[in-house]
Amino acid sequence: MASTKEIQKRINSIQDTMKITRAMYMMSSMKLRKAKQKLEDTEPFFIGTQVGIAENLAHFPDIRHIYFDNRIEDEQEVKKRRGFIVFTGDKGMAGAYNHNAIKLAEERVANLSRDEYQLFVVGEVGRAYFKNNGYNVDESFVFSSNNPSMHRARLIAEYMIDLYNREELDHIDVIYTKMLNSVTEETCVERLLPLKTHKFLKEQAKEITEDVEGTSKAALELKEGTKHVHSISSYELEAIQNGGDSWYPFYPSLKTVLEKLVHNHFTGFIYGAMVECFASEENARMMAMQSATDNAEAILHELSIEFNRVRQAQITQEITEVIGGAKALKKKKKSKR
Amino acid sequence: MASLFHLKIVACDRVFYDGETEILIFPGVDGEMAIMNHHEVFTGVVEVGEIRFKLSDGSWQHAIISDGLVTVYPDGSTKILAYSCEKPEEIDTFRAQEALERAREQMQQKQSRIEYEISNANMARAMARLKGASQRK
Repeated sequence: MASTKEIQKRINSIQDTMKITRAMYMMSSMKLRKAKQKLEDTEPFFIGTQVGIAENLAHFPDIRHIYFDNRIEDEQEVKKRRGFIVFTGDKGMAGAYNHNAIKLAEERVANLSRDEYQLFVVGEVGRAYFKNNGYNVDESFVFSSNNPSMHRARLIAEYMIDLYNREELDHIDVIYTKMLNSVTEETCVERLLPLKTHKFLKEQAKEITEDVEGTSKAALELKEGTKHVHSISSYELEAIQNGGDSWYPFYPSLKTVLEKLVHNHFTGFIYGAMVECFASEENARMMAMQSATDNAEAILHELSIEFNRVRQAQITQEITEVIGGAKALKKKKKSKR
Repeated sequence: MASLFHLKIVACDRVFYDGETEILIFPGVDGEMAIMNHHEVFTGVVEVGEIRFKLSDGSWQHAIISDGLVTVYPDGSTKILAYSCEKPEEIDTFRAQEALERAREQMQQKQSRIEYEISNANMARAMARLKGASQRK
């Protein structure tokens, strides 16, 4: 059994750690409140851009354009370069938050060789991890995930769209964490570019509406949500069903609208994803710190019981020693007399 | 009075307006455009600048908008999706002035094409804000 001094030392160190976790808990709960407010404010816009692009895609005629996956070169290109924008946190201590995003990104690039993909990592934790583990990371893409702003979203969007237009990337996917409610978070993948063509949307929608049991591939993927980049979302299904075939005019021209749409959608999506991630991160950290504090309390409880037991044992021992000593002295005196 | 239609303006940080209006005027690529009830279904580009719409009580509401998209639906309702949309009295002139100067300074430096476009857009936004705010006074 450990001595009282050792136990006392441990109790003190746990108490110190608890102070830190408690402070971090308070801080992330404050930040979470701010992030939740922001999330609420930006939700109409985030959903609006997704609905907007779905509606417009439903009305776009079949054209060849770089923003669609039907460029002339596509048929000749054997190798596709994929870009992944991965959202992680700037700091650790957030439970499984960072790990989930990293794991999903790793899964995505697992079967690709180095020149087939490039990672664009937002947040310090992910960047350090991918760099240290020898992944192909764009080193000039340095953005923090703390306090999302429209400006940063715009910078990211312009950077990525420029790469896409220069044909250095053929696909751009985003890996981000969505906050479903205050306890569950989900890591999702979403393809931002190229856009889905009208023809593709129509085929998928037809497949879903035709099978009543919901067992087809497209319907299953729709139900599973955002895990697949090829499947169509519920917004797109709705848009197609609401008279997708009727063509309508674009002002001033199809091309300008398409350009604007892509930029708006991209920026809006990145901003929305950043806000979602920020909220998820703080939420994850808050929960992690909550459980850390709880654990510390449980350990302290056990330790204090052990401490008392050891102290009592020590006292008992001392008393027996004193009594034993006294008895021995008494005996000595008696025998002398 | 012309009939009213539903107008929704969504900015990145809030729903700016969600209600009835008589006429909506916004800056298009080649000049201002107006939308009234029963407009043709279409999607168009909104440039950085000032939009105004007539409320049901006949008064005009002005707002400074950054670039976005406008969509008219078959039932006549209209939606604008833009990065930001502010009332003239909400604009922080000081901040806008600062942003304008910053953008100007950046424009003078040698920049990559992306940076140039971002500064250009920043400048347009700052100027639109200042213009909107100064008209009120």
